Amino acid sequence: METIERAKKIVEGYDGRPLRIMEVCGTHTHEIFRLGIRRILPDNIRLISGPGCPVCVTPCGFIDEAVEAALEKNAIIATFGDLVRVPGSEKSLAGARSEGAEVRVVYAPSDAVDIARENPDREVVFLSVGFETTVPSSCLAVLRAEAEGVDNFSLLTANKTMPNAYEVLKGSADAFLYPGHVNAITGTAVCERLQSEGVSGVIAGFTAAELLTALAVIVEKSRAGKPFFENCYPRVVRPEGSPKAIAIIDRLMEPCDAEWRGLGVIPGSGLALRDAYARFDARKKLALSPQTGTGNPACRCGDILRGDCTPPECPLYGRICTPLSPVGACMVSGEGACSAYYQYTDRG
Amino acid sequence: MCVGLSARVLSVKDDTAVIDASGARREVNAALLDELEPGDMIMVHAGIAIAKITDDDAHEAESVLETIDGND
Amino acid sequence: MEQYIQLAHGAGGSQTNELIETVFKKHLASPAMTADDAAVLTIGAEKLAFTTDGFIVSPYKFPGGNIGKLSVCGTVNDLACMGAKPLYMTCAVVIEEGFPVAELEPIVEAMGRTAREAGVQFAAGDTKVAGKGQVDKIFITTTGIGQLTPGADLSGANAKPGDAVIVTGDVGRHGCTVLLERNEFGIEADVKSDCAPLWHTVEAVLNRTKNVHVIRDATRGGAGTVLYEIASQSGVGFDIERARIPVDPAVRGVCGMLGLEPLYLACEGTLVMIAPAEEADGIVETLRSMPYSANAAVIGRVTAENPGKVVVSTEIGAKTMLPRPGGELLPRIC
Repeated sequence: METIERAKKIVEGYDGRPLRIMEVCGTHTHEIFRLGIRRILPDNIRLISGPGCPVCVTPCGFIDEAVEAALEKNAIIATFGDLVRVPGSEKSLAGARSEGAEVRVVYAPSDAVDIARENPDREVVFLSVGFETTVPSSCLAVLRAEAEGVDNFSLLTANKTMPNAYEVLKGSADAFLYPGHVNAITGTAVCERLQSEGVSGVIAGFTAAELLTALAVIVEKSRAGKPFFENCYPRVVRPEGSPKAIAIIDRLMEPCDAEWRGLGVIPGSGLALRDAYARFDARKKLALSPQTGTGNPACRCGDILRGDCTPPECPLYGRICTPLSPVGACMVSGEGACSAYYQYTDRG
Repeated sequence: MCVGLSARVLSVKDDTAVIDASGARREVNAALLDELEPGDMIMVHAGIAIAKITDDDAHEAESVLETIDGND
Repeated sequence: MEQYIQLAHGAGGSQTNELIETVFKKHLASPAMTADDAAVLTIGAEKLAFTTDGFIVSPYKFPGGNIGKLSVCGTVNDLACMGAKPLYMTCAVVIEEGFPVAELEPIVEAMGRTAREAGVQFAAGDTKVAGKGQVDKIFITTTGIGQLTPGADLSGANAKPGDAVIVTGDVGRHGCTVLLERNEFGIEADVKSDCAPLWHTVEAVLNRTKNVHVIRDATRGGAGTVLYEIASQSGVGFDIERARIPVDPAVRGVCGMLGLEPLYLACEGTLVMIAPAEEADGIVETLRSMPYSANAAVIGRVTAENPGKVVVSTEIGAKTMLPRPGGELLPRIC
């Protein structure tokens, strides 16, 4: 508690030049709102919620593919709960479910392998979204299916990696709160490289003490005006990350260009199964149609993810786009920037 | 982007660990971690153990704060 | 409104309200209907509370109870929330073809036992058998009628700024128990449903003081949904202290694992009570002496500010909004 008070005092007392701090992890966004951290910040610190919620950056066409797999190809869809309400170009998975699709919410990708075992006559497709933290879990599920001879299990991938996304985002903030659990896998090298390119940031944990401390460090280091990097989450993040996890990702997946909802295609920022694992690739296995779906053109999710506008500045926000009938993906997940804004504030 | 859960290891068999987080128990995949033992604290995400950790975030925060105090 | 009914329409949040407003009330609205847990009807000189509820819980048995016990508690508690002593009940039971009689009897036995405990009598019943697959094993609907306690005036519209907010027990235990019993997430925890008939609990409070403004059953949608409902009905705000909300540690653990908010998990034996601040300590003392409310606690207060909103004071001493009830409860991973 004493630590929290000390860190809080440092943050509250910041009187330097205006600071834009971007958190790129959806769980950071969620915890920052849950704890009420925005309400204690002085006027000269602005927190921007970046594109760190995998649900938010998953493009419309991906949901369309999942709906097609479920309704046209009779596959059982296994997914993290976050994706159920995400709008596709015509319907969400919740909508598909009310039309007869079988959609199972799972805690872990390997649970989908169990579902596949219990339903040998059906293809079970796991919707593999998420960043470097989540990818190893999908990969381990594939390896388990392979080892156990479960051949009716596959991944529909929309996985993303952060390094190239930082290149797109680096002008949008004065400092980043780096996503602690991604760095637990990838290590600190990417942050050090960014520092050498003039980009500042700290790796942050997720508890009240950790978040406030990370903000306090940013505030203090910013005074010097030099690019900085600090690992404020050493109890979880090692400099080398998780070499085993990195090796497993590399064995099963290869980089690909990826569409980020709102940001467009970022070269080399996605991961797809290698040809050697094509039999676990739902796209190939079920011959799904190419993605063509696009979102509502008035939706400003992209500008919001880059920090170029705040949620209430979007013409759809709070009018036709609400957590119960989301248009943009930032509104869908509880940790999406718009949803968090809507839920935890006076709705602008 | 990644909800993490700090949990205590109850038992380990091959690449599977049973974990306990404040009374909630589940099997998780422990293939990424070496030499895991009952009693260890780990960070769990999406059903896999991603890192061995200490559970004392207050102590960690304190040490981190020391470093900036040192700069003043 | 969507073209097809989705699970969220049954989750007790705003989509449920939308369904009720746009389809049901359109044809069925009457002056007798209220936004409270039971209607209050004046018949001759007598004031009676009247309510009905359908139960479709899956699985139909769980630690701490079964669908039979639940079907009596639900209706007894809805009446109790109006300060009404439950008198008579009816039940309509729809059973799926092939359901084992050996499984049916414990359900009915629990209904009888719970009704006797609550002091209510079954006055009529109906059974139907549906073809295999037409229902999921067993569905029960109960209806109840109760006699209002003279001097008690309870309604969701009665909360006043300055009032204390009390919960009669730890929150989210029933919802958590059922979630675990469905075994969709491979999680185990020693959690037992709080399912309990609460007329005697309410009676004890009203014997102590009639100066209680609101009593609400925190069932579907949990205590969080109830707070938002009262905030809107009474045109007030809430200031809730996160640290004072009683939550069973195992429920907290499960919620941490799945990214869920305990305030939005259903309770079946826990009430939200709102009463003038000077009555709060006495009410909590009475509650703690009763069998189903040993964990009763004051969790916050009613405010004139932020009408329609539930504000939470957090562990860092800041204030934030409790997210609004959001339809179907979905675990969060990312």
